[in-house]
Amino acid sequence: MSSTISLNEDQRDALQELMNISMGQAANSLAHLIETKIGISIPKISAVTPSELFSLINRSENAYYTRQSFLGDIQGEVMAVVSESGLTEVASLLEYEAPLSKSDVEETILELSNILAGACLAGLSNQLQLATNLNMPTLFSPNKASFVELNWQHSLVMEVQFDIELSSFSMRVVFCLDRTSLIKLTDTIDELLG
Amino acid sequence: MFQQLVGKLPVGICVVDENYNIVFLNDFFIDRMESDHRSDYTDKPISELFPEQAKFLRRRIKSVFVLQHPSFSYWEQRPHIFPFKSSRPITGEETQMYQNMEIVPITSPEHGKLACIFLQDVTAQASYFIAQQELSLALKREHEEQLKLIKKLDSAQSQLIQAEKMASTGQLAAGIAHEINNPIGFVTANLNTLKDYTESLISICESVAEKAAQTDEKCQIFINDLLESNHFELLKEDMTPLLNESREGLERVRDIVENLKRFAIEESSGWQLMDLSETMLQMIELVSVQYKIPTYKLSCQPECVKIFCEPGGLKQALMNMLINAAQSIDKKGIVKVNVTANEQSVQIKIIDSGSGIEEHIIKKVFDPFFTTKPEGLGQGLGLSVAYTAIEKHQGTISVSSKPGVGSVFEVNLPVIDPEEE
Repeated sequence: MSSTISLNEDQRDALQELMNISMGQAANSLAHLIETKIGISIPKISAVTPSELFSLINRSENAYYTRQSFLGDIQGEVMAVVSESGLTEVASLLEYEAPLSKSDVEETILELSNILAGACLAGLSNQLQLATNLNMPTLFSPNKASFVELNWQHSLVMEVQFDIELSSFSMRVVFCLDRTSLIKLTDTIDELLG
Repeated sequence: MFQQLVGKLPVGICVVDENYNIVFLNDFFIDRMESDHRSDYTDKPISELFPEQAKFLRRRIKSVFVLQHPSFSYWEQRPHIFPFKSSRPITGEETQMYQNMEIVPITSPEHGKLACIFLQDVTAQASYFIAQQELSLALKREHEEQLKLIKKLDSAQSQLIQAEKMASTGQLAAGIAHEINNPIGFVTANLNTLKDYTESLISICESVAEKAAQTDEKCQIFINDLLESNHFELLKEDMTPLLNESREGLERVRDIVENLKRFAIEESSGWQLMDLSETMLQMIELVSVQYKIPTYKLSCQPECVKIFCEPGGLKQALMNMLINAAQSIDKKGIVKVNVTANEQSVQIKIIDSGSGIEEHIIKKVFDPFFTTKPEGLGQGLGLSVAYTAIEKHQGTISVSSKPGVGSVFEVNLPVIDPEEE
């Protein structure tokens, strides 16, 4: 079994479009909940090695990190990198009262990741008619969890950035799929493409 | 069967409708509620039954209804959402249940959109986790303390090495001083004799020159030529001052050696009477050999101050302060030592017009290993050693300083009666 992951151009375009729609829905959900405008970047899709994933995640300083696994027809993890700046404003949009305690900050981050990751996953699953379930998000520190010792070679990642207009807040959501799920995903896309 | 199953599940289940009213509670919830609520909960707002975290619950349930997507809460951030007692009321150390919560959207034909709260009792995990965290914190603290101790040990070792070095340097100096004294002795004696001889020689030559006029012409020319070709006039003028200067030079060498000897051979045999004014004078002479830039002044009131002390420690203390004062002056300046004494106490002030000490570090100057000198040039021990020594003499040491103006170190020592010691 080859360890590299390849998508043909059609698959990539389709996935990109699906992600676009899902992310748009995610942004809408969040915007609806906190009643503010949200911007999204164009999703980036790539195959990465563990160390590439590590540098992809560990790019920003002054950030919080969360991870959240999902199970079902496709399996994988969603990681979110949440900027420290602007977090207070976002927390107040989520009805937290200043000054924020450490727990308030953590809860805000976990809730934001959960909302965005959940909405993205739900969008993707709905469009592809796949059943998925998201588990509880947890905070983690990529500095401590070096990815070098992970036992996979390649993973498909889909990355998108959310910005909130009112503040300097931004957040990156990175989807990672394992190999079996990728095959399932490409098969489903192929079916859709006919 | 399903109803029984749901009832017995070891997970709390609470279903609310879009108005936040309770539709269903399983046994997990009911068993843990106040007894008066147990029979009569349906259609009551969740905020009425559980007012403690009502705002949070409403917000999360709203998010589930709006987004149609699960919401989570973790015990670490929000340990006690529902006011339930610990599952170990007798043996557990914790009194309240630690909870993880998940709210998921569901629907029913009867009620339409619903939100289902799953509540997990994670008290055991949480308390284990907390205990682990405390343990690791304690370990970390211990580790840090050990590191500090190791550092202290290292420092103590280097202090010892330094002390050892000082001691051997002192011994060496004393030995050399002794060795130098011998040649100085005979060179001085020889110089004195040489001076007498020179005077005799000069007077012989002068007599010969005088008598030359009375001899025959040939002899006269011979003598005059001889005197002139050997520059007798110059020799006569130069020789005495040369010898005198050499003798003065030797005296200075002898003074330095004497000071060094007296200072280095420290009879560390404990407490004794020490002439403070004499000691300060010696010290200034020694320091001024090495640090030539400052002008040194000493004033003693009364002229001779003798104190009962441990000379080794006290001298070291004063020496360290004096060297610091001298080092603080890099262009032109004064180092002044004022000694005043009365019947009860002796005060020694060491005043310099040097660079001064910044206000934010002045509290630290007596700390061991605090130094402003570049690495390798100072160990930061001088003033701390001084502090310890002064303390040992039941005295006090204080400093006041202004950057750019100078510093004053003041030592106050109580007069100790030798009989009492």
